[in-house]
Amino acid sequence: MNVLEVKNLTKRFGGITAVNNASFSVQEGSVFGLIGRNGAGKTTTIRMMLNIYFPDEGEVFFRGAKIEQNFKDSVGYLPEERGLYKKMKVIDMLLFLAELKGKKGSEVNKTALQYLESFDLADRKNSKIEDLSKGNQQKVQFISTVLHDPDFLIFDEPFSGLDPINTNLLKEIILEMKNKGKVVIFSTHLMEFAEKMCDSIAMIDKGKIILNGKLSTIKEKFASKNVSLNYSGNLSFLNNHPLVESVENFGNSTGIRLKNENTDQELLKILMANNITIKNFNVDEISLHEIFVMHAGKENGDVQ
Amino acid sequence: MFNKRTLAIIKRELKMKLFSKSFILMTLLVPLFMVGIFSIQYFVQSMSEEQRSDLIIISDSDEILNKIQSEIFQTAPFKSGDLTAIFEKTELSDFPSKLKEIKPDIISQKITGVVFIPSTSLQSKGVEYYSSNPNNSSLFYKIKPSINKALVEIYFAGRLLTEDEIKFARKDVDINGYRVSSDEKVAQEGYGNRIAMVLFSFLLYMALIFSGSMTMNAVVEEKSNKIVEVLLSSASSTELMAGKILGTVIIEVLQMAIWLSPVVLLIFTSWFFIPPELMPQMSIGFIFYFLFNYTLALITYVALYATVGAIFDNPQDAQSGVWPLLMLIMIPFFIALGMESNAQSTLAQIASLIPFSSLIVMPARMILVEVPLWQILLSFAINILVLIGIFKLAGKIYRIGILLTGKKPKWSEVFSWLRMSS
Repeated sequence: MNVLEVKNLTKRFGGITAVNNASFSVQEGSVFGLIGRNGAGKTTTIRMMLNIYFPDEGEVFFRGAKIEQNFKDSVGYLPEERGLYKKMKVIDMLLFLAELKGKKGSEVNKTALQYLESFDLADRKNSKIEDLSKGNQQKVQFISTVLHDPDFLIFDEPFSGLDPINTNLLKEIILEMKNKGKVVIFSTHLMEFAEKMCDSIAMIDKGKIILNGKLSTIKEKFASKNVSLNYSGNLSFLNNHPLVESVENFGNSTGIRLKNENTDQELLKILMANNITIKNFNVDEISLHEIFVMHAGKENGDVQ
Repeated sequence: MFNKRTLAIIKRELKMKLFSKSFILMTLLVPLFMVGIFSIQYFVQSMSEEQRSDLIIISDSDEILNKIQSEIFQTAPFKSGDLTAIFEKTELSDFPSKLKEIKPDIISQKITGVVFIPSTSLQSKGVEYYSSNPNNSSLFYKIKPSINKALVEIYFAGRLLTEDEIKFARKDVDINGYRVSSDEKVAQEGYGNRIAMVLFSFLLYMALIFSGSMTMNAVVEEKSNKIVEVLLSSASSTELMAGKILGTVIIEVLQMAIWLSPVVLLIFTSWFFIPPELMPQMSIGFIFYFLFNYTLALITYVALYATVGAIFDNPQDAQSGVWPLLMLIMIPFFIALGMESNAQSTLAQIASLIPFSSLIVMPARMILVEVPLWQILLSFAINILVLIGIFKLAGKIYRIGILLTGKKPKWSEVFSWLRMSS
């Protein structure tokens, strides 16, 4: 069931259209990835979903109704550029942010202390934020995102600027939230993370959604006509071959896209006949990165 | 706009500020600073009075010299030794050479000055004073009455007048100000209200600029800290702005009430002694009016300062963007100070009614004169309308500005935000 529906969102800043008629939906209990390059419109889309920006056109629906404050209350948001009040004490900071979400009292206080304990920060609860290391400040920020027990978690580029330890910590949080049946939405330009963690994705490029749906369906759709190849030899004979739509070199592997489904065995025969040494021939395998490059092209090269 | 989120923000503001060192210091230091300024002024004045003056008094008439001598010997400064005088008879024609002779002593300040009272002064009352500091009013204050008395007495001596008649002729006109107000009470007025006007206007001026700048810096910090996006994922920008402003207003009004409490105690109790001519005449109602007006002024100006903070993302740029606001506070402040000579002038009346300036000029005017009720109500209505308008405009600019970082926006861009839907 769709819990969140984004319909025809458009946002312009001056003469620039940051998001152009974007539509997608997020299912209950899923991990959803908003994927695109830096500057593609991911943050603007997320801000409109949270009502931080008002869209110029389009609407966002939460369980069938237009989003209002009740949606904000049930969201835990980790923005790309994180920030806390530097002069506040850790525990006060956490309780203040929880209170803004409508949670206060001894219960939330207890939960905060539990989180601090599990993040090894219990002895720092009365320290000022500015006295913590950057890594510990990030931990406090994670706690503040989940402390009020939100049904939705929205992470904007969650892995940018994290050290390896906190990257793993955040991955664990995301999986734990997923296991608890929460909806996790995150934006990223790191395809590898998206591929490993997402149930569904929407790809955004230059403000437009260029692909969206269940990751497994998308991969299936592209994979059945797709071959991933490791080889040695000369593939140039495949250019303008009637079976082949395109050949793309991804560095470690080469992706061959076929014109018709189920012609992979024919391709294999042709490769053998042309004396290509095949080290790895993988049908039905395509990375999200390959799919992205296929759709959005290779410019800028900031998608990894 | 007022809900649990606004309340949470207000609570945070109170918690962070009320117990901060700067709040406690400001609350204690400002009254000390005020007392300090008045004491220094008093001290400087009394210092100058205690300074010794050594005069040479010259005249071509023995009669004048004798009379003045006997008058000056009776004065308090002479008796206490603060004033010494040598009396010399010199003919009119010899006076220039005499002066030349004394000149080195004047320059070396061995003597304070030379008072020359020619016999013609019996007609013109013209007296000459030669000194390296001829504008020493405290010295004139000491010797002028004696000279005047002596001249008047000599002048009338041959004219068969009674002592009382001479006394009357000698006396200066003494204008006492009585404040006529609608409550049938006619009270004699000293300098008290003028001092109170300067004090209250200064407090208002200083507190508005200070609290405005503090709020502006806090907003800039939230913006450069990036915490604002976290806050906006929970609360709307209007709630955020309202919480911030109301938090500041509560703290500042409390602080102002603390600052005014010595004044209230001074006026309404007999715990402190103050000379009656320095005692301001005001009602407790005025103190409440002042605090209420201050609340309106704070909301208006703090909202504007917060907006300027939201436009810029670093303190330097924000400082450069704040000058129009400073003008909005400084110009009315100087109008209020200038009103001391006549609070009923057309300029004063207009300034006490127009937006922004009314917030500072009206209370000052009310201390000096009785302002008609309709003007007070009109200024209220205008101020509240302006406040609502400011809140709306500020809310729009704040909403857009608060998430923009990077290039410093131009004013034309800021105005174009007002036309945007969000």
